[in-house]
Amino acid sequence: MAMSFAGKTAVIGIGATEFSKNSGRSTLRLAIECCDAAIRDAGLRPDQIDGMVSFTVDVNDEIDVARNLGIKELRHFSRIHHSGGAACGTIHQAAMAVHSGACNYALVYRAFNERSETRFGAGVTGGAGGATPVMVELGWSLPFGMLTPASWVAMFATRYMHQYGVTSEDFGRISVADRKHAATNPKAFFYERPITLEEHQASRWVVKPLHLLDCCQESDGGQALIVTTLERARDLPNKPVVIASAAQGSGEDQHMMTSYYRDEITGIPEMGICARQLWADTGLGPDDIQTAILYDHFTPLALPQLEEFGFCKPGEAKDFIKDGNIELGGGLPINPNGGQLGEAYIHGMNGIAEGVRQVRGSAVNQVPDVQNVLVTAGTAVPTSALILSQPD
Amino acid sequence: MSDPVDNADAGAFLESLREGVGIKSAIRTTPDEVNQPMIRHWCDAMTDHNPVYTRPEIADKSVHGDIVAPPSMLDSWLMVGLALRPEQLSDQGKAVGMLPIITKLDTAGFTSVVATNSTHEYDRYLKLGDRLQFHQSITNVSAEKKTALGVGHFFTTRTEFMDQDGESVGRMDFTILKFKPGTGSIPMTADAGAAFAPKQRPRPEISRDTRFFWDGIDLGELRIQKCDDCDSLYHPPMVRCPKCGAYDLGYVVSKGRGTVYSFVEVHHPQFPIFDYPLLAVLIELEEGTRILSNLIGVSADEVEIGMPVELAIRATDPELNLPLFVRARPARRETTRVFEDVSVGDNLAPCPVSITPTLIVGGAMASRDFQDVHHDVELAKKRGSPNIFMNIMTSGGLTSRYVCDWAGPEALLRNMKIRLGAPNYPGDTMTFSGLVNSAEVRDGKGVIEVGIRGSNQLGDHVSGTLELELPRR
Repeated sequence: MAMSFAGKTAVIGIGATEFSKNSGRSTLRLAIECCDAAIRDAGLRPDQIDGMVSFTVDVNDEIDVARNLGIKELRHFSRIHHSGGAACGTIHQAAMAVHSGACNYALVYRAFNERSETRFGAGVTGGAGGATPVMVELGWSLPFGMLTPASWVAMFATRYMHQYGVTSEDFGRISVADRKHAATNPKAFFYERPITLEEHQASRWVVKPLHLLDCCQESDGGQALIVTTLERARDLPNKPVVIASAAQGSGEDQHMMTSYYRDEITGIPEMGICARQLWADTGLGPDDIQTAILYDHFTPLALPQLEEFGFCKPGEAKDFIKDGNIELGGGLPINPNGGQLGEAYIHGMNGIAEGVRQVRGSAVNQVPDVQNVLVTAGTAVPTSALILSQPD
Repeated sequence: MSDPVDNADAGAFLESLREGVGIKSAIRTTPDEVNQPMIRHWCDAMTDHNPVYTRPEIADKSVHGDIVAPPSMLDSWLMVGLALRPEQLSDQGKAVGMLPIITKLDTAGFTSVVATNSTHEYDRYLKLGDRLQFHQSITNVSAEKKTALGVGHFFTTRTEFMDQDGESVGRMDFTILKFKPGTGSIPMTADAGAAFAPKQRPRPEISRDTRFFWDGIDLGELRIQKCDDCDSLYHPPMVRCPKCGAYDLGYVVSKGRGTVYSFVEVHHPQFPIFDYPLLAVLIELEEGTRILSNLIGVSADEVEIGMPVELAIRATDPELNLPLFVRARPARRETTRVFEDVSVGDNLAPCPVSITPTLIVGGAMASRDFQDVHHDVELAKKRGSPNIFMNIMTSGGLTSRYVCDWAGPEALLRNMKIRLGAPNYPGDTMTFSGLVNSAEVRDGKGVIEVGIRGSNQLGDHVSGTLELELPRR
């Protein structure tokens, strides 16, 4: 049964800070700046915002954001868990909230100094609070030197390579496509800095089989979006970008970053759950997608995403991505903004904004005749995905 | 420039050390005849399961026709043991050269001792009831040498073994280094044990639900949670069995065997608590559950998915025991390799040896070596060692086990020449590797030489060559 909000809500505003390695400002300042920009882009006044959604891991409190923006009455505020897996989940939550009437205009935001202050890639060797379930779970990996997201993802990559005859060069094609697209995006950190497959292969190991150029950059920045009902959206200045559907997924025997105990570890079952919901809700299929924003914190897990959504069969993504098929002008251009590998790592939220621009027709690397854009969220964690479409 | 007077003194000292060189001792008799209990202790300590040493029903049908002693036990037959019996005490008077040299070196400050080389040559395998006789001589005393352990003198003894009929059965050249403690560079002494400084890895947080697992690790066993109602196994542990709903969850003790399911090589970022590149592995246990761990004694280019591994619980620091893994010990060959099937350049599958206190002490006792540095931690420390360490006869026993397990039960060991380097301390893992150096027919017999190396985290513990005779096709 289709979700009742499917096709009934829209993204009406987007706003971001610049993306950098050192913002020189507080995370709260970044949050306020991007929210401010999104509200203005939507053609709204701050006091019209009455809902907020962010990540549980975001440190910027709703009340601080509201106070600084001049938001008066908040009627809905909620958070989505599981780090980058929350990205499309925030839009999913906002869509449900405005469709149900819990609020009218939901402000969705994510802002951090992930590069200059708290780097996830620096690794975790302990935590506060004693034997909480999260720390007990980490106890199965930290004592063995598995301290970073790169190490956790690499374990899946080795098995995927073994099972399907995938090579490091296959992973490299994701990086090359992203960097090619970033090279012509002035807002991308790697603007005018494309890479070759040879440079990918020559880059140093981070966690073998991951080269440095398989790992997204770490970034400072903020990204905000505003969601309302399609009905309200039609009265606002921007063309409504319809949320055709949005979904969350958490699979059987799910762990945070380390779902190593399932029968097979080469797929992303939680993404498959999202895929089945999105296709069912929209009646669309892989052939109806003109461009996809695939979560690319690390290249290897971009491949099974294509498989879970049915763009190709399991194990065949390595062939699907060859010969420029995922580059601009190819059969399925991915991440025209440069993705998180090329533009910035804003926990997937900058990718949703790119999806909005592709539907609006305002993207710097515009894919022609975009009807539907697929956007996915973090992999190796409980995740989410959505489809943005043209209004009727 | 050295002082010429000092040089003259050194020359005189060396001359006095060399006074006994070349003089043969009187013939002495070993304390016990070759006997099954000592052989069994030896095989237990070395985990040598060749049936020709302990199983008459198989030995009778073998090339030997009877139970034989492991040839590498050769010098353990002459060890006097802990307490000298009266007849042995009187026998001591027949020893020459050795005691005066040791006394002179001790007096001159060369108080520490370590065996460095052992060469065995075997004329025949010993059988139950053989009673060996032997005589010894000092064959060489070196000038002062600067070694990694310290400044010292090497001296070599030759022992010739005869049977009860006076027939020669084997020879041994045995070299020891007497050195001044604290004058070397490798961590023989406690305060120089930087390579052994414990690295405090992140502690696992332990809840009431996972306590049983870590308690098991501290007791030396890997526990896998088991549903008491439906027998399902879980790792990491659950609170409730999702299959049947039971809250009564017990555990089984894993056999500790599995295969590599996936692996990564961590390079960056680096923490001082780990050694890099770090091999992290996802192990699939025989019982069916998986566990994250590290593979030790294996380099990144050797690991592959499907590789058999074995549990090796290790104290990574004094307060943390972790379930780590080593490559599985290669299976002992049940049939003997044929000479024609062996080629120069053939590699022996690497074999890990967990250096446990049990192995060190058990090996020392089985070889009747009661030197305190091989069994008494406190006394070993007083003598400047960070811990007890493996004796050379155990190193030899493990070396011959490694090669003969590869060659097969009826391969005949002709000689074994080993040289010791970095000590084997408890908590380490030594990994043997080997290579066929030569293969040739001599007097109609197929003879091969195998080169071996046993490396631990300090370096090469043992290296050497073994000559074996293999059956021909």
